[in-house]
Amino acid sequence: MKHANKVVPALVALVAMAGLASCGSGDESKTEAVSGSSASRPGDGPESASMGGKVPTIVIRNGEPVGGVRELEYDAGDQIRFEVSSDVADEVHVHGYDLMQDVPAGGTVSFDFPAEIEGIFEAELEGRKEQIAEIRVNP
Amino acid sequence: MSLLPFAHALAARQDLPIPAWLFAWGASIVLIASFVALAAAWRKPRLEEAHWRSLGAGLSRALFSSPVQALCGLVGVFLLGVAIYAGLRGTEAPDRNFALTFLFVTTWLGFPFFSALLGDVFRPFNPWRAVGRVAGAGFRAIAGQRPAHLAYPERLGRWPAAVGLLAVVWLEVVYGSSGGVAVGLDPHAAATAALVYSGYTLAMMALFGTEEWCERGEIFSVYFGMFSQLGCFGVEDGKLGRRRPLAAASHWATLPGSAAVVIASIATTSFDGAQEGAFKSAIESTFDWLVDRGLGLTAALRLTDTIFILLCFAGVALVYLLGVRGMRTIRGAPSLAMLRPGFAHTLIPIALAYLVAHYFSLFVFQEQAQFAYLLSDPLGTGTTDLFGTASAGVDYRVLSANAIWYVQVGALVVGHVLGLTMAHDRALVYWPDYRDATRSQYWMLAVMVAFTCFGLYLLSVANG
Repeated sequence: MKHANKVVPALVALVAMAGLASCGSGDESKTEAVSGSSASRPGDGPESASMGGKVPTIVIRNGEPVGGVRELEYDAGDQIRFEVSSDVADEVHVHGYDLMQDVPAGGTVSFDFPAEIEGIFEAELEGRKEQIAEIRVNP
Repeated sequence: MSLLPFAHALAARQDLPIPAWLFAWGASIVLIASFVALAAAWRKPRLEEAHWRSLGAGLSRALFSSPVQALCGLVGVFLLGVAIYAGLRGTEAPDRNFALTFLFVTTWLGFPFFSALLGDVFRPFNPWRAVGRVAGAGFRAIAGQRPAHLAYPERLGRWPAAVGLLAVVWLEVVYGSSGGVAVGLDPHAAATAALVYSGYTLAMMALFGTEEWCERGEIFSVYFGMFSQLGCFGVEDGKLGRRRPLAAASHWATLPGSAAVVIASIATTSFDGAQEGAFKSAIESTFDWLVDRGLGLTAALRLTDTIFILLCFAGVALVYLLGVRGMRTIRGAPSLAMLRPGFAHTLIPIALAYLVAHYFSLFVFQEQAQFAYLLSDPLGTGTTDLFGTASAGVDYRVLSANAIWYVQVGALVVGHVLGLTMAHDRALVYWPDYRDATRSQYWMLAVMVAFTCFGLYLLSVANG
């Protein structure tokens, strides 16, 4: 067991380093991606309602969200507020919370509800099956 | 292009990635547990004998009586029939149709969990086995002799089931794409696949015999049966009994191809968990590369996903084989041909842990749908309300994000410890000197730590 006492800690340390390294790198690349995208395209990165104060608006042109799927991030207990301004008539569906509102062509609808379910939810144009936003509610 | 895990088509909610601090804690606990496991090494194998004890002849007589067996078989056939009918005739909305949730959540995810706890509960309800047995009994009654079967090629072992397992997951997560967008499997395709599989299975049972095919080739029997080896309830000689947990698994991998079954399970769960997270950018660049080469969008997405599933399989197999190869360096090691299947069963708890970590929340949420609106309105057309629950919804508040994280990390840590335990026990069989056995297990320890930390890593970058 003398031999064992040297090999095992070495192995354990090696794997621990590998594990922590992969954890760290994963975290960094993610932060980079987020800050990078929000710098080049403001409003594209995750945004928090409590930070800005202004209500984010998702603009729909030709049935697709301008700037891609909008990421919205909240903490549980926050108030989720956003508006959808669309050039096509459809129904906006927030999954999980199961909220639905019809939007007429050229019209705007606003959502305002408490973030009481944790997880990742999508909002989509129900008729077109087009995802327009990803809503994250952190605990 | 958007790549969505299968769960996405059914559930309106996805898990948040586990936070970095929990990842670090999980990995640390795994390493400490491994260290303790080695230090506390026992010196005689304890899991080679199952110590099976009957739970009483009366209980077994009742459970295995013809009426009860017939009833279970009928339930299985009826539910498969409902799923196929709903898939063919019901709505094309994946989340409103009975077929997808029943086949891919209730059955495909439910039986591994419950088999591990309760034993091989799928066997009595297996619809194809029920049909095969009735057909066999009918043949005997008419012809007055047992049906003659081909001898199953022993070298094939469980390979048909391993390939089948990859095919099921391929259908589940790869096939359902259109125009470069993963839209999820549609109910009609699922029902058609179930019909095709039924025809294939019954033909194989006719060729090789019902029980023979269930033991080796029938995907669901082999896959669920694998998890049932972990638990403490088992059937021997037609009697139900209790046995030492984990011990029955010791002799599960004796058939060729068994290692491939458990490796396929870990690989496919990894793929589904990684496609939205860890592999996302690699998948996207492969997809773009294929599209630039002139491939159609749907074909490019399917080919990309197929390549990545096979890469996952190769990767998991490689890590396992490296671990086994490493054990050969310990003096007195048995041949590679003996070692290769010899440690396959130690991956079963890891496979189960991966399933729990990746699908636990989906299962809890989607079973609410199963037992509420999908049962009352199986076709999803809004025209029936059999049990008055057609308008009930899924309450996503029953599990907090924290509860899900703890279950995920807890499952991986427990699976890791069980795998280590089984591997150490097997090593004591191959190396009579427990010090050699312990040394051989540095290799398996590295394999297990790799799988568990990879599992934690997948959770930490999930749905990124």
